Amino acid sequence: MKQQREIEKEISETIPLVGDLEPLSTLESEYTEDPIYLLKVKDLSSKYKYIRRTRPDGNCFFRAFSYAYLEHLLTDKNEYNKFYEIAKNSKEILVALGFPQFTVEDFYETFMEVVQRVGEQAGGSPEAIEPVRSELHHKFNKQGYSDYIVVYLRLVTSGQLQTQHDFYQNFIEGPRTVTEFCRQEVEPMYKESDHIHIIALSNALNVGVRVKYMDRGEGSQVIAHDFPEGSKPLVHLLYRPGHYDILYA
Amino acid sequence: MAALPRRIIKETQRLMQEPVPGISAVPSETNARYFHVIVTGPEDSPFEGGLFKLELFLPEDYPMSAPKVRFITKIYHPNIDRLGRICLDILKDKWSPALQIRTVLLSIQALLSAPNPDDPLANDVAELWKVNESEAIRNAKEWTRRYAMDN
Repeated sequence: MKQQREIEKEISETIPLVGDLEPLSTLESEYTEDPIYLLKVKDLSSKYKYIRRTRPDGNCFFRAFSYAYLEHLLTDKNEYNKFYEIAKNSKEILVALGFPQFTVEDFYETFMEVVQRVGEQAGGSPEAIEPVRSELHHKFNKQGYSDYIVVYLRLVTSGQLQTQHDFYQNFIEGPRTVTEFCRQEVEPMYKESDHIHIIALSNALNVGVRVKYMDRGEGSQVIAHDFPEGSKPLVHLLYRPGHYDILYA
Repeated sequence: MAALPRRIIKETQRLMQEPVPGISAVPSETNARYFHVIVTGPEDSPFEGGLFKLELFLPEDYPMSAPKVRFITKIYHPNIDRLGRICLDILKDKWSPALQIRTVLLSIQALLSAPNPDDPLANDVAELWKVNESEAIRNAKEWTRRYAMDN
């Protein structure tokens, strides 16, 4: 088991944390021998033009989500202002839940530093946005920054689950409590995200996420789920079993 | 060597200023990621009166991965093996970057107060702990006297 994990780790480290924008057709070339997936890629390409891949290291949902959302905020000042308030207050919620102030602050400060940098040019002209966009891309590919953002969103997700534990308990299989689930599946790095993580994070930050689920299931359509249900999606992600990438219309 | 992350510097300062009662953790003079740790055996445990030496190392990707901790002083405990390796969930799959060195030290102290033979690392010790607890506790006290009280 340990050896297998190390091999997987080695392979995954050759893939950038967040890659460049690629035309969706690159997806097609992955599946030339696979008629089921080819049909689905075709369906996907009727709605999306580009894909941005993320490293499959178990943190891909959090990394893809935060990258895509911050990138969106660069072009949407109103949404930025709304988000800034939520982000600013998020630390107090965590500390009140009993997370150690000292470590939470460390992640919060790095997270807010990146958020505020986006805010400086949010809604600006394309020329003003571009340098911040490339800075964002650079930061997301620096392990230190990138992982700090992932950690903070994991904590926010855990905070949401614990605050609304009566509701989220229904999603947890087996005898685990919400807090136990958070300690095992949310707060540790490299643990993969499931529906419950996405529901909790999108609710905590009040951000609409659309996930397109591409698998071997029947039919030629790629099914979409919106989180929270009925919200207007600002972040679009492609899910293939075990992995999330970012989609662009 | 790369510069020491802010997080490690801050944690070290705090450990010096507000140490965990019953535990001392001092960074090595030559390597700021390596700590010399001494844990006092908790009261009302078979380890009472002993001073246990441990080593704690912060790996390159700390705090993304857990500190590596090992007992140097020999100890008779169902969750600590002959090599001093410790069976503790937060050192393995339940490590989270929101935890810290302080949490780890407190958990190790708690493990000395409450050995858990149902999740053993040292099988022979755990077995005896389950079938004949009073003998196991006698052994633990004897080891404490022999190995953890020499100074």
